Amino acid sequence: MPTPYEPAAAHRRPVTDGGPDTGALGSVPSAYPYDQPPARPPRPPLVRSRTRGWTPGVSGAVARHLGISRRSVRWTFVLLTLAGGAGLAAYVFLWALTPEGDVDSDPSQAAGHDTRPERRQWGLVLGVGGVLVVVGVVLLTPVLGGGVIGTVLVPLFTIAVGAIVAWSNLDDAQRSRWIGAGEGRYGWLRVALGAGLTVAGILVLVTRGESVSAVWDALLAAIAVLVGALIIAAPWALRLWGDLRREQVAAARATERADIAAHLHDSVLQTLALIQRQSHDAAAVTRLARAQERELRSWLYAGPQGSQSTLAAAVTEVAHDVEDLQGVVIDLVVTGDRPYEPHGAALAQAMREALLNAVRHGGTPVTAYVEIGPTGVEAFVRDRGEGFDLDAVPDDRLGVRQSILGRMERHGGTARVRRRDDGTEVELRLPPIEGGTS
Amino acid sequence: MSQATTTGGGVKPGPVRVVLVDDHRMFRTGVRAELTDAMAASGIPVCEFVGEAPDVDTAITVIRAEQPDVVLLDVHLPGGSGNGGVDVIHGCFGVEARSGAPVRFLALSVSDAAEDVIAVIRAGARGYVTKTIGARDLITAIRRVADGDAVFSPRLAGFVLDAFGAAAGEIAEVDEELDRLSAREREVMRLIARGYQYKEVAKELFISVKTVETHVSSVLRKLQLSSRHELTAWAMGRRLL
Repeated sequence: MPTPYEPAAAHRRPVTDGGPDTGALGSVPSAYPYDQPPARPPRPPLVRSRTRGWTPGVSGAVARHLGISRRSVRWTFVLLTLAGGAGLAAYVFLWALTPEGDVDSDPSQAAGHDTRPERRQWGLVLGVGGVLVVVGVVLLTPVLGGGVIGTVLVPLFTIAVGAIVAWSNLDDAQRSRWIGAGEGRYGWLRVALGAGLTVAGILVLVTRGESVSAVWDALLAAIAVLVGALIIAAPWALRLWGDLRREQVAAARATERADIAAHLHDSVLQTLALIQRQSHDAAAVTRLARAQERELRSWLYAGPQGSQSTLAAAVTEVAHDVEDLQGVVIDLVVTGDRPYEPHGAALAQAMREALLNAVRHGGTPVTAYVEIGPTGVEAFVRDRGEGFDLDAVPDDRLGVRQSILGRMERHGGTARVRRRDDGTEVELRLPPIEGGTS
Repeated sequence: MSQATTTGGGVKPGPVRVVLVDDHRMFRTGVRAELTDAMAASGIPVCEFVGEAPDVDTAITVIRAEQPDVVLLDVHLPGGSGNGGVDVIHGCFGVEARSGAPVRFLALSVSDAAEDVIAVIRAGARGYVTKTIGARDLITAIRRVADGDAVFSPRLAGFVLDAFGAAAGEIAEVDEELDRLSAREREVMRLIARGYQYKEVAKELFISVKTVETHVSSVLRKLQLSSRHELTAWAMGRRLL
């Protein structure tokens, strides 16, 4: 990539990137002098692009992997093929063994690929049609195939094309299995077509222009042999299949176990480590342990968490917030529930203030009880300690007066602070939601 | 529960004999140490530990051999038929303490799940407290259970209010009705849910502590005998019916 210190290169980049757009495959190499980063990145893996053209993308994969141009790879294959067919063998070999993968080619190239699958399908159909015509002619007129071309080359060619058609589709199937719904019937048609072509080619090659009845006998014999082999191999294959399934189940269990272990590691073990390091700070230990306990509980029992869709969930979250903030355990009990609406939100906020007051000025244990019923909502926050006298609270202290009393009154509710012998209790009340009870 | 659990025993001759059942050795050691320290500090030996057990089968053997007054029972335990504390209670059916009263169970658990709480209470436990309970409160609870009273934590009171529909305003016409709480029982439960001690409940409602205990025991009885749908559904979750 051009660094900011090279304005010229930076400006030129978009222009050179535009090159491959116009010239599809041919002009790809021309982009390299500019796209080549000064410091070479690690060699990309040998994978075939998912979005590819007529060809399986072997040349492209090799070119990407080796960092040379696609064109030179192609020509190498062609030259090797001319030299005794080695190139063809290498190509087929690479096709079979190179996995498909996501290739982060640059956007301009990806855009160029967009139209190709369609073109490729048309090409395929045309090719298959042509081959079918040739096969038909050869089969119908054995006389024509008297020479070497008719008896050997045409069948061989048919076998190859059939194999490629079937194979290319199985290749696609590997991909569609991951994506989800594949091409469905069309895909199977292609496999059947390919298999048919291959079988026909083999038959023609084997019979060498014998009569049709001989072909038929051979076909029957072949089927008989196939069925026999199937019967012999079936138990073994079934056992293999069963083993495979068992292995898959075991692997799934192992994965689940690993997930649990990972979660425990990220949560519980980390917290335990923190607790050991802060063991001198009792408040921190309590806070950590409590937060971890809550987290683990919600993970295990999938209780209400995060979502403030109901009042019960909202007040629970408020209590947890205060716990986290102040490091004091709050015993919260909630009964009933109702939808979360502005009045309930006001109650939750007032309760938050009451809890904060209780935790700061009162003593433990702090208990909170919220009863949500058809006659309204009642919330009680109780602490054990000196407590605070409302009349003694200066007017400039907005906390209690505004956040608790004022807020509840604005929402049609009431709030009361009671001094008790051994603590303070704040009572919050809300009328039921208008228009029916929950 | 049999009505023979008369609380008129009054002052017991010796300390309450306690068996501790929990599958975590660290927790058993911790509870023992904490309670011993607390009793040493107060100078009153309320209870003595006579046995421990880490699983259902050992627990039943130990309880039958020791005949304790109170069993501190974890809800989740290995062994038995897989129902943990419930299996222990069923396995010790009919066992009597040396004083002649039935062995009482106090559930002690980290679980807040309603089905766990309700299941162990319906199996016969006299109370349910969470493991975060303080040592002094635990001693009070053990004493109370030994006397045949019930021990409700705020959370258990909340469950009861929920399960009996008391929070939603369902109130029994007559006190004996098993499927609903009476108005007074509801008041007591609400105060316990708010974190009040029995003493404070009594003061708040201008009744005696003894009356509070009676109400709580009555709620416990309803909790164990009622066929209210919510309760049976929770119990079903633990395959008890």
